[in-house]
Amino acid sequence: MSVDWIKRVEELRQRRSNGDLGRRDFLRLLGLAGAAAGLVGGPFGRVSRVWAAGKSIRFDGWGGTVSEAFHKYAFEPFTKATGVKVVEGEFGNMDTYLTRVKASFPPGGEFNLAHLSGVFDYARYVNLGYQVVLDESKIPNLKNVMPALMAPYRAITDGTLSAAPYDYGQTGLAYNTKHVPKDKADKLGAGLLFDKDLSGKLGSFDDWRTNIWYAALHTGQNPNEIKDLEAVWAALREQRKLMKKYWGSGAELMSLLANEEIYATTAWSGRVAALQAQGHPIAFLSPNNCYSWQECIFVMKGSDLEVAGQLLNFMLTKECSIAVAEAQKYPPCLDPTKVELTETIKKLPAFDPTGTLKGYLFAKPDYWNGHQVEWAEKWDRIKAGA
Amino acid sequence: MQRNGWQPWILLSPALSVVFLWLVVPVCFVVVYSFWLRAASGADIPAFQLGNYAKFFVDFFYPSILIRTIRIALETVILCVVLGYIPAYFFYQTRTRHRPLLLLLIMLPFWISYIIRTLSWINILGDSGLINHILVASGLLNESLGMLYNEGSVLMGLIQYMLPFMILNIYVSLEGIDKSLLEAARSLGCTEWQAFREVTLPLSLPGVSAGCLLVFVLSSGTYITPMILGGPGNDMIANLIFKRVIGTLDWPFGSALSVILLALLVAIVYTYNRYLGVSQIFKSFR
Amino acid sequence: MIRRLGISGWSLIRLYTILVYIFMFAPIAVVVILSFNPQQFGSFPLSGFSLRWYAKLAQNQTIVLAFKNSLLLGSLTALISTTVGILAALAFVRYDFPGKNTLNTLLLAPIMIPEVILGVALLLFIRWLQQPKSFIMLLIGHVVITLPYVLLVVQARLVGIQRVYEEAALSLGANALQTFREVTLPLLAPAIMAGVLFSFTISFDDVTATLFWATAQSQTVPVKILGMLRNSISPEINALGTVMIILTLTTPLLAGYLSRRFARGG
Repeated sequence: MSVDWIKRVEELRQRRSNGDLGRRDFLRLLGLAGAAAGLVGGPFGRVSRVWAAGKSIRFDGWGGTVSEAFHKYAFEPFTKATGVKVVEGEFGNMDTYLTRVKASFPPGGEFNLAHLSGVFDYARYVNLGYQVVLDESKIPNLKNVMPALMAPYRAITDGTLSAAPYDYGQTGLAYNTKHVPKDKADKLGAGLLFDKDLSGKLGSFDDWRTNIWYAALHTGQNPNEIKDLEAVWAALREQRKLMKKYWGSGAELMSLLANEEIYATTAWSGRVAALQAQGHPIAFLSPNNCYSWQECIFVMKGSDLEVAGQLLNFMLTKECSIAVAEAQKYPPCLDPTKVELTETIKKLPAFDPTGTLKGYLFAKPDYWNGHQVEWAEKWDRIKAGA
Repeated sequence: MQRNGWQPWILLSPALSVVFLWLVVPVCFVVVYSFWLRAASGADIPAFQLGNYAKFFVDFFYPSILIRTIRIALETVILCVVLGYIPAYFFYQTRTRHRPLLLLLIMLPFWISYIIRTLSWINILGDSGLINHILVASGLLNESLGMLYNEGSVLMGLIQYMLPFMILNIYVSLEGIDKSLLEAARSLGCTEWQAFREVTLPLSLPGVSAGCLLVFVLSSGTYITPMILGGPGNDMIANLIFKRVIGTLDWPFGSALSVILLALLVAIVYTYNRYLGVSQIFKSFR
Repeated sequence: MIRRLGISGWSLIRLYTILVYIFMFAPIAVVVILSFNPQQFGSFPLSGFSLRWYAKLAQNQTIVLAFKNSLLLGSLTALISTTVGILAALAFVRYDFPGKNTLNTLLLAPIMIPEVILGVALLLFIRWLQQPKSFIMLLIGHVVITLPYVLLVVQARLVGIQRVYEEAALSLGANALQTFREVTLPLLAPAIMAGVLFSFTISFDDVTATLFWATAQSQTVPVKILGMLRNSISPEINALGTVMIILTLTTPLLAGYLSRRFARGG
């Protein structure tokens, strides 16, 4: 019955665009079709759904191959099925995006869905009041997502979800195996980034969280509960003297490692996978308490929840999740024990075959967000040489 | 100079209205924000407190970054004048038919996106970049020179960006010099060099100073170049503003930083207009 | 003796200019060369010749759209900005009125404000207005950013144009508009060209401000490139750069060729 109805709407639209129908006739017929669908109770039961023909919803994500994968496997099928257009935006940096979002409230509604990075970002958006409560019964594909990924979000929003987890990864260490032997890397772990032998050939992500995390590990502390801050600052000061470059983007990271400008650095697991796929001698080290994170598709206040839920469901399908995972080289959120994943994905660094994410240490959002102003500034000072 | 009451205002009105609405008012917002507070969540709390400004002066860190920024900007200006005057003079004097093409070529780099050009410096100055590759392969050096990620590479990137501004400004000014003045000087017995020194050079100064002002102000506000080509200690003031406003979502403090930078630059530009400004130089002609 | 000195002086000048050109174009050349590198990473020496990045680029629809947006935005900005700038420059150079210096500084203000701040400031303003972002707002923003460049260039040139010419025309019976059109404008032409070029290129290359004000539909090329940096690799970005070079080189050449043909054709 539903398929008939969709076909009917499509036919009407065709006739309309061919100029066969006058506007009033079109609207009338559409209304009738909608009422009919409403009476018979299709999937889009309410009459208001008929007007979806002119609606749109906005999605913002990372550019390049990731957006291509989303477009092909989620947005196109979604628009075909519902008639709702997906307006695609891009950002290169999470913070810049949040600045734009913050400036759009009030009144909100400009941004709907976003591919956010890190649980702490979810917390930031919730603290600013941009969250919604998703109706999980309308998003059946959530059943395939690893519960371990959803737990941190539920903890922040009192058991409800304002986002669907999407993929996860780690910021571990990458090193050039030609210049750094494997046993040395394994032995030193996080200490590899503080090794004086590699002076002038070290790099790191220009991000206060990443660097403080690894300095904490190096000084033998739990990053989510740093007791001795002074030791962390001292370690960072020492490390700065050994650093060649604090890079700011994936392109820089890959370029620096591939060109052998640096031999070791903190690195996103996905980018290391990309280098390895090209045959570069770069290994990925995931030390104990490696900095792990996950990404989600966040739904913002002011969005049409029904449409958002449907779109999320399309994005969580197996085909779409796998395509995006292979494109950006971060494992998908789908539970490997429930869903059959491809070989490529199983070989990705940071992939967890058990689906429980045991041993993955995620940043505690309240802890890190609470210290953000103070530590970010301290990091800038240390970086400048203070 | 006419003293018509309303005429200049009519000419000025489009520029003034656009700048007022799209600049003055938004900047007022920034000034207002600089007195606010940042809530723990990142939201802004209206207030009137000078804490953000106090934070700037609490120790030498922020002022030192500002001073470093001004210094780098000045170095860029000087280098641009030195590197840019002669090519501008070349374009002015050259008899070749292809002059418009050559000029266009100077502007060409701009249309290739600043980010790509800056990133490509890495392939020239880097350890496995072009220069090191040539030096090492030809046996002149055993190890690569560390030419990247220091103040030098930032300067290179800045100069590459600013040079067209300087060259074009000087060229346009040179081009406007009345050739008859030069001929008069030559006919009075001046050598080419003397004619240049006494006639061309002074008359090209408006262009040079316009170029200097532009380059100085642009260099003071840059953040992409130090971000891509700079090492750990090369952050400039705009990098810090970026990190505070966008990274930490600390709009109040970032606004205060901006107001301070803005005040400094306004002072410099105002002084320029008073003493070196075009109106002053115009007066010297009459 | 003087002649010989003069010639060698000129050669030195020419050499100097060539060296400056090499400096300016070295990164461009590197971008072009490396875009043909079949390896994903790695610098010199090249390990071969490959067009795979161009193939990849050709499949990307959104970049073509971004390019069109950038061109449209740049051209409109250049048009409006140059017009407004010429009018303002005339006011500053030819007239005397109270507050001239202050206003001059004010109109040069946009370049003094770090783009980041201008971006956020305007964002705050638009939010306060409760207006959604639109292409027009982006356009006005670009005009504001590019206006100081036009002002500076046109003012510096206008100062050198002696009033004598204009006064002569006026005394011969021309009115102000005719004087402007027949005397001042042609003399200003190089500055106007420079102004157009400046404002187009600033607008085309603008990153930060556009980042904040662009709607989803009006993505420009620099913003797209910024978005590519997270996951994409250099050769693909270099291929994009090379395409832009080819396009921007051929357009004026083509325009010049066509204009010469039409001129000859009469």
